[in-house]
Amino acid sequence: MSEKITFKVNGREKTVEIEGWERGLDVLRENLGLTGSKRGCDDATCGACTVVVNGEAKKSCVLLAKKLSGADILTIEGISQGKKLHPIQKALIEAGAVQCGYCTPGIVMELYALFNKKLSASKKEIKDALAKHLCRCTGYEAIFEGALLAQQNLKKKS
Amino acid sequence: MSLKYVGKNITRPDAIKKITGKSVFLDDIKLNGMLYAAILTPPTAHAKILSIDISAAEKEPGVIKVVTGKNIDFLFGDNVKDRVPMAVDRVRYIGEPVAAVIAENPHQAQMALKKIEVKYKELPVYIDARDALKKNAVLIHPDSADYWHLPGIGADGGTNIADHYLLNKGDIKKGFGEADLVVEGEFNYPFSSSAAIEPHGTIALHHEDGTIEIWSSSICPFVIREDIAHTYKLPVSSVRVHIPEVGGCFGYKSDVTIEQTVAYIASFVPGRPVKWVASRKEDFISTLLGHGIRTKFKVGVTKTGKLTALKTTILHSTGAYVDTGLHVMRGSTHNSTGTYEFPNCYLDGYSVYTNTPPVGAYRGYGHQESQLGMERMMDIIARKLGMDPFKLRAMNYLGPGKKTSLGEWLWESNGNVKKCADIVRKTIFTGKKKKEDSEYYYGRGFAALMKSPKGAPFSSKSCYLKFNIDGSVSINMGGAEVGQGLRNVVRLVAAEVLKIDPSRISVYMEIDTQFSPWEWQTIGSMFTMQGGRAVVRAAEKAIHQLKKTAMQALKCDYDMLEYDGDYIFLSSDPSVRVKVSALAHGYMTEDGITVGEVVHTTSDARLPRYSNPDANGQGSMGVTYTFGAQACEIKIEKKTGKIIVDHFASAFDVGQVINPIQIRGQVAGGVMMALGSTLHEETKFDSDGVCLNPRFSKYRFPTINDAPAKQTIEFVETPGKIGPFGARGIGEHPVIGVAPAVLNAVYDAVGIDFYEIPLDPEQVKAAIEGKNKKGR
Repeated sequence: MSEKITFKVNGREKTVEIEGWERGLDVLRENLGLTGSKRGCDDATCGACTVVVNGEAKKSCVLLAKKLSGADILTIEGISQGKKLHPIQKALIEAGAVQCGYCTPGIVMELYALFNKKLSASKKEIKDALAKHLCRCTGYEAIFEGALLAQQNLKKKS
Repeated sequence: MSLKYVGKNITRPDAIKKITGKSVFLDDIKLNGMLYAAILTPPTAHAKILSIDISAAEKEPGVIKVVTGKNIDFLFGDNVKDRVPMAVDRVRYIGEPVAAVIAENPHQAQMALKKIEVKYKELPVYIDARDALKKNAVLIHPDSADYWHLPGIGADGGTNIADHYLLNKGDIKKGFGEADLVVEGEFNYPFSSSAAIEPHGTIALHHEDGTIEIWSSSICPFVIREDIAHTYKLPVSSVRVHIPEVGGCFGYKSDVTIEQTVAYIASFVPGRPVKWVASRKEDFISTLLGHGIRTKFKVGVTKTGKLTALKTTILHSTGAYVDTGLHVMRGSTHNSTGTYEFPNCYLDGYSVYTNTPPVGAYRGYGHQESQLGMERMMDIIARKLGMDPFKLRAMNYLGPGKKTSLGEWLWESNGNVKKCADIVRKTIFTGKKKKEDSEYYYGRGFAALMKSPKGAPFSSKSCYLKFNIDGSVSINMGGAEVGQGLRNVVRLVAAEVLKIDPSRISVYMEIDTQFSPWEWQTIGSMFTMQGGRAVVRAAEKAIHQLKKTAMQALKCDYDMLEYDGDYIFLSSDPSVRVKVSALAHGYMTEDGITVGEVVHTTSDARLPRYSNPDANGQGSMGVTYTFGAQACEIKIEKKTGKIIVDHFASAFDVGQVINPIQIRGQVAGGVMMALGSTLHEETKFDSDGVCLNPRFSKYRFPTINDAPAKQTIEFVETPGKIGPFGARGIGEHPVIGVAPAVLNAVYDAVGIDFYEIPLDPEQVKAAIEGKNKKGR
């Protein structure tokens, strides 16, 4: 059965018609064309589909679409402003954390949610957040360094 | 050589698109009129198909067509044509396509799939080559002897052996006769998945005019193009293959596999593009698996530590279809010497049909499987001889004046394993080992390694380079960027030769067989070497063209001209000069009359004199080697048996580092991937051939919590003679020494020899408890 839901994505209100089987990731990618969130596993393990829902990092591949009703969602498409990258994006590039790039948007969103909630997150807290994401390319070293650099730069700004 | 750009860090040209989520991967492509396929797979891995009833599925909402393979009359494959795109009358593995639904959306296709009824008659299932080789085993391919294959490879028929390779060097009997000690060992590197985070997928479109267009997350567009053209009896030029951004490969997106299946399905709906992207489960069971290699070693050595003879048996469970998988076995077999010179070798390899998903390329291509055995053997032999294992290795290392198993002479320019070994030894083995405490055992382990490309003699990589009107340069190539960073290799190498800043060089962001220059496929850690050489050649040709036009502009002889990136000038009077930008599209004289060629060049580069094997299984089949060494410091938690890697060190002789930040990323990622294989990952099957863990929540993919606390990564730069500025390949090498280094460290920690991976904590704990009991 299809139904209409309304929610906010990247600051703009959207109303979409969804089917009962659809997940948040389907709505973002198929209905709204926000393909920056990726599908990698279907069982909330790889983290490539991570978006920020009401301030929390969520794996959108297992999120029922109808649960998005009324939510405030931020995706990778909403994090930079034109050519001005978010400090997290800048830091990850600087650290060499981007290789194939498929896990990258999810990791950016995870760190965004973490640092927005707690900019003073400890190394362990950062690791715990990154442990929700799988990356085959980097061995995680550059991602962790990028996260620390992002935290440092965000602290300077705040 | 003083280099201005090569060896410096520059930002990846794809970094911003990737980090803003704007890069286009296969699943991000939407085409007008696109339909979606869902593919039915069988409940058991080996069975005859008795009947398929699609009538109920055809009536489901949104269904356009239901497809079976019963009328398929062709086989496909790049090396051995032994595959069908969809089961005809039997299934041979658990991920084999049996039928497919084409529907308006993926959900409808999935729903209708459930309505297809198939009756099977089960056949015996063989997961391991040892079972498929038993007397009276049912033949998985009764017609294997009739399959088309490239010369010198393939099956003889009558057994499940899909390919046999034997290498003879020297006199094996004499070699063992000279030995004072003969040591044997058996090892296993089990199945696992390359498991890129982007699942494999394809879109196929049969145009109404008979041409075919394919989009795939593949690394071999030109192989796909040729194979599809062959199948559909089209000129190769009538098939066009696009490769968008690829979200990791690590082996299994090579060769032609799912593209043939999706093209077959799409052939039923001409004019409509059909998309199929693997679910994670399908990515595990319906693409290519890795490894599945058992090895047996018999090594002869004198009292003083001189290696005299090596006999190995390499048993490759190659899965339901062999195609290029046999080259994994062949590479594993002739490289089973590891980094050591054996004057006498008898290296015997078999790829055997089994009922698992086809086993193909996985980063390392057979090398880590046999070098796990060899590097463990070196430690075991040293122990038996009462010798320092570093000394035993150093006495036997391959190097200048030594001959590989293939009979190839090595030269200084092939690199220096000893230097790499010294670096990691110093890093990990300096000082005393930590003493066992109440919580942990501590150990240190080492492995040397080598890898050759295992390519094809005709393998080449091409470059198309054009100068633009402002003197900037655009470069187009056929090498697939899968994350490894080859786009920056192209830019840095071109910048160095052309003497212009890399920011003025733009490189291709997608591959399209209609526009991209030909490349065999992006495998074997060969892009930097071959592709980089192609860039050098194309750039030199461009400079040559610029000079030819400048001769007319400056009215002087060719050999009096020099090039500095901005100008062509007279070497005897540099004030007489013309701007490169004034030459790029020909030189326009004062009256407007224009002379000279438009400056765009093509080139290619293959490995010099790469050959097929001779009657002894030898030949020029390595050509280039990268040597290295890896070592680690581990601790084993007493309570759980868990192995924790505190420090992992790697050193490789790469000839020349092209981009420091990227090469470190390659090595760090490779080490992590192989630590996954060593400690966690295995694709498991039950006795029906059903995969037991085809999802990330069940397949132990390593996370950041499994990463070594510290990685030391260093490079030796002994310039090679083939690659650009002396560079050699590095993409696969970081995975090779990891398992033996860890297993050698485990012995160092607890005195137990392990021969198989993954080493899960329960197993380690049980072995330690068993040993402790015995010791009492």
